[in-house]
Amino acid sequence: MKKIILLTVLLTTLVFAQLNVDTTYSTLGAVAKKIGGDNVKVVVLGSPKYDPHFIVPKPSLLSKLRRADLLIINGGGLELGWLPPLLRNANNAKIRNGAKGFLDMSHFVPMIDVPTSVSRAFGDVHAQGNPHYSTDPHNVLIMAEAIAKKLAQIDPEHEAQYQKNLADFTKEWQAYLTKYDANMQMCQTKKVVQYHELFNYFLKRYNIKSYGNIEPLPGIAPSSRHTLALIQIMRENGVKTILQDVYHERKTAKFIADKTDARVAIIPHDLGAEGSQTLQEFYNKIANRICK
Amino acid sequence: MKKSLYLSLLACASLYATVDENATQVELQKQKAAIQKLQTQLDMLSQKSQGTLNTSASFSQNAYLPDIALILNMSAVARDVNNTAYENMAIPGFIDAGDAELPFNKNRGFNLNYAEVAMHSSVDPYFDVFAMFHLHPNAFEIGEAYVQTTSLPYALRIKAGKFKSDFGRMNAKHQHAWHFDDQPIIYKALFGPDSISDAGVQLQWVAPTDTYIMAGVEAMQGSNDRSFGDVERNNLYVGYMKSSVDVGDELSILAGVSLAHGKNTTTNATDVYGVDLTLREQLGAYSSLIWQSEYLQRNKVVDGSVKTHTNKQAGLYTELVYQYNNNYSGGVRYDAITKNDVDLSAYNGVNTNNLDKYTAMLEYKPFPMSRLRLSYSYDRTKVIAGERKDINTVMLSLNIAAGAHGAHDY
Ligand SMILES: [Zn+2]
Repeated sequence: MKKIILLTVLLTTLVFAQLNVDTTYSTLGAVAKKIGGDNVKVVVLGSPKYDPHFIVPKPSLLSKLRRADLLIINGGGLELGWLPPLLRNANNAKIRNGAKGFLDMSHFVPMIDVPTSVSRAFGDVHAQGNPHYSTDPHNVLIMAEAIAKKLAQIDPEHEAQYQKNLADFTKEWQAYLTKYDANMQMCQTKKVVQYHELFNYFLKRYNIKSYGNIEPLPGIAPSSRHTLALIQIMRENGVKTILQDVYHERKTAKFIADKTDARVAIIPHDLGAEGSQTLQEFYNKIANRICK
Repeated sequence: MKKSLYLSLLACASLYATVDENATQVELQKQKAAIQKLQTQLDMLSQKSQGTLNTSASFSQNAYLPDIALILNMSAVARDVNNTAYENMAIPGFIDAGDAELPFNKNRGFNLNYAEVAMHSSVDPYFDVFAMFHLHPNAFEIGEAYVQTTSLPYALRIKAGKFKSDFGRMNAKHQHAWHFDDQPIIYKALFGPDSISDAGVQLQWVAPTDTYIMAGVEAMQGSNDRSFGDVERNNLYVGYMKSSVDVGDELSILAGVSLAHGKNTTTNATDVYGVDLTLREQLGAYSSLIWQSEYLQRNKVVDGSVKTHTNKQAGLYTELVYQYNNNYSGGVRYDAITKNDVDLSAYNGVNTNNLDKYTAMLEYKPFPMSRLRLSYSYDRTKVIAGERKDINTVMLSLNIAAGAHGAHDY
């Protein structure tokens, strides 16, 4: 009896030998699951509850990285503040920077807001351009394609499956985008301010203009002088929507809202940040909350 | 007749020539158009693949420069003993009068503790190289300089060079990464300000388990003569195991056991045992509570008048740090020597019991790369000029990190 159980366990693990795919953030993880299907086990390292620039480098993340066959990072410097030491200490040759099992998604997405000059005097700027591209639902297909190609490369046995998953998902997502874009045509919100430049890709896609940020410089806490200047700008331009992320303090946004008669919209920056379970729910929530 | 023939011939020739010329011109136009078409196609292609022309200097290697960071650490200190007395302090049983190394915050008034240049670069697909150069006002020191493998199988990693041992929780951390400006008393007493930092090799392995388990061994020179220091040969071996579990999403626990075995003379052995425990509770995106404690015991064989005997000494520190937000944090630490079974006859008439220290600090980070820290400590571990002297210190320290981003520590 014992032998049979052992044999079945052994067989099932053999049959369902899944690729361990780690992603730094949850939206990337959801796309990887769509393409990888049953062939992959996806582990998301950074909780969407927290600031993606400063994920707490818990040692438990090391054991997750240790067993990964593929690591998909957002790139563009977003992981710079937490991932490099973890990657070094996980001792996993498969996923080191430059290895076959390392995928930097920012190499596939055209970056916007690339600064012409970089200095810390301007705050903790993203030197390689704005890395928060996953707020634009159109970038999901770019991610899906890159992931399918990478999965086929490290697991050629299931290439056909990944291609099929990609084709299915592309069809599904294109249909979703058509509806989504049509809905966005009706979006009444045309002017916003935001806390950090988290939503620029989304705003650019749907011609919504951002008039400024609550943080005076990237990564720097709000100052009263900057806040007053922002209130002035909002009044002059009739900005009535403040995009607030889930992890920063909300006092400043509320204060500004009171002074400008604007609305504070809590916008998720990543899947799961505001309770969304699926990619569609995540992007719907962004649209609904901005456009309400 | 002849003339007319010539003329007609000439006319013919010129006619032919014009016709010929016309044909050539058309052909040329055609070719020009074709070339132009090709050219635009080429331009489009090159734009697609390259974007812009390469305008960088012909032999520029800027892209291969290592990541470089510059760290400055300085302080203003008020202390109720003068500098000469402080330099000649002793910790009974551990540090004799005048024998203490005091590279940080030694003087009442102002101190520039160090400028540190830290560099990191990939060497090739198999090695990374790291170096931390410590520049003190009167000394240049290679704090660390080592290579580390990146591509060994089975989650193994080898480090070679001069490096800080991964013994315990604090040992490998640099001064500017500590939660308090002062080194824990037990570390200072057993190893001095640089802790266990030596030339050697290290092998580490991460287990393929759900729970984080890491084991490591090191062979080092053992030149630190506070605990080791056999000058005739390499003598220090260090081993440790660390493990971490998460309890829910917010609480993580890291624990470790460590052992360092070396020789303090060619024959006498020293063993140092350490246990450490860190609990970190995440209270919000930028808010957390960290409770970190360590206990170290040293068994050091020394020559007696007749035969050798073993000095047993131990101490601990426990610290609680509350991170309020990105800008503010505060913390308290308690240090104590808990065991001091050594010959203390040199301190006859001096109370050498209850050696401990209390520290409190408040930290303000106006920007992510700069830190101001105000601290107060009440140090009851010192003997100065043959008398127990409790020291009160108030200190304001400033730490600046410029250049490459040092990722945040756990
Ligand atoms: Zn950012």
